Amino acid sequence: MEVSVIGCSQAKIGKTELAYRELGCFDPKGVSKAFSAKSRVCFSPSTRWRKAGIRFTLRAVQSEAVRSEKVAASSRISRSRDGVRLFVGLPLDSVSDCNTVNHARAIAAGLKALKLLGVEGVELPVWWGIVEKEAMGKYEWSGYLALAKMVQDAGLKLHVSLSFHASKRPKIPLPEWVSRIGESNPNIFFTDRAGQHYKECLSLAVDDLPVLDGRTPIQVYHEFCESFKSSFSPFMGSTLTGISMGLGPDGELRYPSHHMLTKSKQIPGVGEFQCYDKNMLGILKQHAEATGNPLWGLGGPHDVPTYDQSPNSNNFFRDNGGSWDSLYGDFFLSWYSNQLISHGNLLLSLAASTFSESAATVCGKIPLMHSWYKTRSHPSELTAGYYNTTTRDGYEVVAEMFARNSCKMILPGMDLSDEHQSRASLSSPELLLADIKKACRKHGVEVCGQNSSASMAPGGFQQIKKNLLGENIVDLFSYQRMGAYFFSPEHFPSFTQFVRSLNQPELHSDDLPEEEEETAHSLNVSSEASVHMQAV
Amino acid sequence: MSTVSMEPLLYRSVRESVRYAPISRTFKPSSWSCSTNHKLVFHARSFCNFRSSNVHALRASTTTDTDIFETLESTDVFFKETFPLKRKETVEGKIFIRLDQGQNNGNWQLTVGCNLPGKWILHWGISRAEDGGSEWDQPPDEMRPGGSIPIKDYAIETPLKKSLSSEGDALHEVKINLIPKSAIAAINFVLKDEETGAWYQHRGRDFKVPVADYLLDDGNLVAAKRSFRVWPGALGPLSNLLIKAEVSRANGSESSNESREAEQKSRSLEGFYEEQPIAKQVAFDNSVTVSVRKCPETAKNLLYVETDLPGDVFIHWGVCRDDAKTWEIPDAPHPPETVSFRDKALQTRLQPKEKGDGCSGLFTIEEGLQGFLFVLKLDKGTWLKCMENDFYIPLSRSSSLLAKSRQDLPESAQIPESAQIPEKNAKANEEASLSAFTNGIINDIRSLVTDISSEKTRKNKSKEAQESILQEIEKLAAEAYRIFRSSIPTFTEEAVVEFEKKPKSPVKISSGTGTGFEILCQGFNWESHKSGKWYLELKKRASELASIGFTVIWLPPPTESISPEGYMPRDLYNLNSRYGNVDELKEIVKIFHEVGIKTLGDTVLNHRCAHYQNHNGIWNIYGGLLNWDDRAVVADDPHFQGRGNKSSGDNFHAAPNIDHSQDFVRKDLREWLRWLRKEIGYDGWRLDFVRGFWGGYVKDYLEASEPFFAVGEYWDSLNYTYGEMDHNQDGHRQRIIDWINATNGTAGAFDVTTKGILHSALERCEYWRLSDHKGKPPGVVGWWPSRAVTFIENHDTGSTQGHWRFPGGKEMQGYAYILTHPGTPTVFYDHIFSHYRSEIAALISLRNRNEIHCRSTVQITKAERDVYAAIVDEKVAVKIGPGHYEPPSGSQRWSLAVEGKDYKVWETSQ
Repeated sequence: MEVSVIGCSQAKIGKTELAYRELGCFDPKGVSKAFSAKSRVCFSPSTRWRKAGIRFTLRAVQSEAVRSEKVAASSRISRSRDGVRLFVGLPLDSVSDCNTVNHARAIAAGLKALKLLGVEGVELPVWWGIVEKEAMGKYEWSGYLALAKMVQDAGLKLHVSLSFHASKRPKIPLPEWVSRIGESNPNIFFTDRAGQHYKECLSLAVDDLPVLDGRTPIQVYHEFCESFKSSFSPFMGSTLTGISMGLGPDGELRYPSHHMLTKSKQIPGVGEFQCYDKNMLGILKQHAEATGNPLWGLGGPHDVPTYDQSPNSNNFFRDNGGSWDSLYGDFFLSWYSNQLISHGNLLLSLAASTFSESAATVCGKIPLMHSWYKTRSHPSELTAGYYNTTTRDGYEVVAEMFARNSCKMILPGMDLSDEHQSRASLSSPELLLADIKKACRKHGVEVCGQNSSASMAPGGFQQIKKNLLGENIVDLFSYQRMGAYFFSPEHFPSFTQFVRSLNQPELHSDDLPEEEEETAHSLNVSSEASVHMQAV
Repeated sequence: MSTVSMEPLLYRSVRESVRYAPISRTFKPSSWSCSTNHKLVFHARSFCNFRSSNVHALRASTTTDTDIFETLESTDVFFKETFPLKRKETVEGKIFIRLDQGQNNGNWQLTVGCNLPGKWILHWGISRAEDGGSEWDQPPDEMRPGGSIPIKDYAIETPLKKSLSSEGDALHEVKINLIPKSAIAAINFVLKDEETGAWYQHRGRDFKVPVADYLLDDGNLVAAKRSFRVWPGALGPLSNLLIKAEVSRANGSESSNESREAEQKSRSLEGFYEEQPIAKQVAFDNSVTVSVRKCPETAKNLLYVETDLPGDVFIHWGVCRDDAKTWEIPDAPHPPETVSFRDKALQTRLQPKEKGDGCSGLFTIEEGLQGFLFVLKLDKGTWLKCMENDFYIPLSRSSSLLAKSRQDLPESAQIPESAQIPEKNAKANEEASLSAFTNGIINDIRSLVTDISSEKTRKNKSKEAQESILQEIEKLAAEAYRIFRSSIPTFTEEAVVEFEKKPKSPVKISSGTGTGFEILCQGFNWESHKSGKWYLELKKRASELASIGFTVIWLPPPTESISPEGYMPRDLYNLNSRYGNVDELKEIVKIFHEVGIKTLGDTVLNHRCAHYQNHNGIWNIYGGLLNWDDRAVVADDPHFQGRGNKSSGDNFHAAPNIDHSQDFVRKDLREWLRWLRKEIGYDGWRLDFVRGFWGGYVKDYLEASEPFFAVGEYWDSLNYTYGEMDHNQDGHRQRIIDWINATNGTAGAFDVTTKGILHSALERCEYWRLSDHKGKPPGVVGWWPSRAVTFIENHDTGSTQGHWRFPGGKEMQGYAYILTHPGTPTVFYDHIFSHYRSEIAALISLRNRNEIHCRSTVQITKAERDVYAAIVDEKVAVKIGPGHYEPPSGSQRWSLAVEGKDYKVWETSQ
């Protein structure tokens, strides 16, 4: 049949043309113009950029993306089919402490907007302090179940973060009964050198101690997970596709080494070691005695700076000749970080076995302690429990632990770029991220990206895109976080833009003929733009 | 070709527009303009795929039969409403094609007919043997039946005539006499239904009846076979309206078998008869009547639902306790045949009536419930709803509630029905229809996704889809933002940020603020139209106004208008108004530009008066350059019977409100604004009654017309408790701020809140009102100063109307406040040319001298019963009220700059 069509096509040309002329839309240029005008109306990139005052840069970047797309079209397109799956975090206080859904209508509208945007799912923090608020073993899931239903109805996936810590803003405390125990026995909390307790999560030293009315925290966490599993079984695997296990402060696998930092724009200090609660000290003592250096087990290092100080203000972290680089330093740091890793291992294996049959991926989150990365000792990482220095790779063993439990690693700070860090902090989020990703790749650990939860850092979206599109190791990104700012006119349009640009390859495969023109157009603009920028 | 594909996505806006819209409007050219014939073949095919997204529509319009209402009232029926349902249903029928020898011996006759009702047109042509039988050509004159019209030079159209079949059924047919020995290879045709504008093809192609075999000798068999092919060229332009003749695969093969048999027979000169099943949407008028009655014995409500919908009708229902219309399951007992549906609703089968079609149900509802919510479900998973809302029946008999519910009910509702969406979507659909907050969009996305089976299909869809989806996303995001933000007050912070940012770039121009240093003059009052030559009079004042220090003048509405003041516009492109003609307007704009004053056009976008009445005598048909019809009018004002969507804002009841959700309306308005900018030279806009439509549309218009400055009139009532104005007017200013937000900050808004608070403060000597609980100014100016356009009087509030007049004799205190504070102050014409003139001029001069701008900082130093004082930008101090205040004597030295009755303004002396 097609042969015959071709056979007579010549005869038809005249008439076809005629038809077009009658419609008055033969000019392909006109057609494309009509469309570009249209797209401007709805996405209005140009006007927004103008308002933001950074129109030219963004445009230029955009066209770059187009260009690279053309170069690497084939690989990118194939990848984009399943590409990076995007999640958006729900507000931390999505469920109130009386188990109702907070701002349900806003969330409902938000979920719809996200679905329409093509977002894959949402991340929902589930708080220990809300679900098991009143008494041990008394779980109240109704608020979270209602929310999960909303997510399901919106046709989105759900990724749940089991949070065994407390939050300062918004204020979400630990379960009341845990706080009560903590009041009589503050040694269940992390403690710093000055004896201050960090009351927002339990010290990892009590993991296996029956401090909670005769039960160990691990048992309590385990029962919590079991209860979660049975309550959420209708969603498991279908809507609920991911579970991240809370591992410590802010859910991250770390010591609360930086919690006393003053919140100002000044350069972050190095933080402090958190090994001074009674049980930690006990373990340290034992360990020191076992390794034949009982004197090393009497406390943490004596020559460390305080929270806000810089590495060089005391001896321990000094680049050259600092105690970190001594035998004692190695002893202490190895022990300190091993404690953290075995704590992580305990919780992740617990989660992995609990949820092994539930078709939901289990994840754990690690921090991105990027301050002082450019020093030799990496003090911020050390105090947080990551024994990673210029001479030692501290993430290998972490990645290996994740791999052992077949858990996915959540990595925050994908929006941070070196150029926006204060120079004096000698920070490098990009290098650190690369370090961790390398370790993950080596051990086959999949990575789920996150942005640092504060409001979007400058150039953040570009940075995220760079991180996502660069390598294949990140297949999921969880954007933090829905709320007033998220939907505000300052933020939401650029987020929309970001999502669309993630899916860009897909769009282009649709529109190749026109897009080519557009490309040329935007290339012009960008070259013009660079001229302008130089002139300015 | 995108129209059909768009249907499921834009059902709100383009529903049924196919029938009325000229092709040029709905036709969206896309890549096919450069395609080869080969490509077009594909297109033709993809239409077939599309047809499955068969959209049914239901329109319900509220009519209240007052007679019935009154008579029934005595029997305790306090609510009764009938919703006429215009339901479309696909009916199946057949197209038949018969070739036989007519009575007049030897001449073959082709008969094409159809047994479905409709205005059928045969669009046909012939193929000649010599050009391979593939071209369309017009048949010789002798072949054309009466009533035929030539279409271009390659086809003719012949209407089918109504006749009766042998069984007595009505059918439509046309007979074409074939002429022996003419070199006709085949007859090509498609069938068109004039009523719906739908085209019916044979499996996505033309019907083709090879006739060469019958007419000539049998030798040309190959040619005949080959001629059975697609010729899509001529159909290209038409195919945007094509609707597939529903030929299932099984039927298709059957019929081709048949036709092969037919061919066999024909060789023995016997003619043939072939039938094609087709499906067409036919409108059925049904209605549902709901009446509510108080049961005197039990004090329960008895709700009776009655409908004449045929077949099984299920009602999905629930009750609600408040205006949020959240579905709840009422307590048992429930009517028979009721099942619970996902714990959210009850599903009850309506009982067939004893006589006649239709069915009904009686529901007993406990006291204390606010409303009864329902949707109807027909068989085949067809859902009937009220637009995206559920039907809502109020259960309280208080008249206010009744009235309210009437308003709530969409007067005209269009219900997407998705009978033919694939199975898996049906479930999704059910869910969606349940939530009170549903929108069909998500379902549409799903069906979009399922429809993306063919690349080309997707291509057409995605562009249109993206646009509407993005708009929807923006709306949802704005909604989410509003709610989130209202629970967390963040605006004070934002204002602070703004203060910090601004001084670095004080001359950044944006349409929400101008340069930030603007001072507006309202250049007319309610009487200005009277002389008929206002432009000429005002022109003379131009240099005077410039010397006072104004930077922007707001000119009266320029368009032709039903009312002389100009706020009831009709022909937007006619700029001859009671203020002067278009040339005088251009002249005055030019003159103001010469003295350095920007001009604002007063544009009325919310409503537009019609030129003509529709067939019901309703004024909703437009003339002039923008000759819109009732699709441009919002559907929820019963006075104007618009066929557009529901209004995105409040209704202005005196004129038809424009439906800004219609693409063509927005396009026309964008063009109009651009034209005003270019043709007249306006620099910006004062936007009338922006409460009437969504601020997002304003953003669209402003981005298209790129004004230097724009300000919207969002005027609603302040918050009062027991007749006394609340101190806290956060709710009021929040509504204004929400609107500004919806415009994305592209426009400022009149600070009605500040005016209201000034009223109370000055009138009752309650100056403490001028500080909110955070020590900020209590109006919009305290939260979003750069977008607050402050004023104390305008043509509506004051002038000869005096709807809300500023406390008499205290105007200067008002001006001392707004002209020293952040925001963009506006001075009313009547005040400038009055005895206040020199004082106002002094204040303006002080404002300019001290470079106070819309983002200046304000520090309230006193807010007591009889005095309010503030220091602005640390260089101007102001006090209003009879009480005593002196600025602090610190490092700064203050000198009194302007003084008047109950106000003083100081500035720092360097």
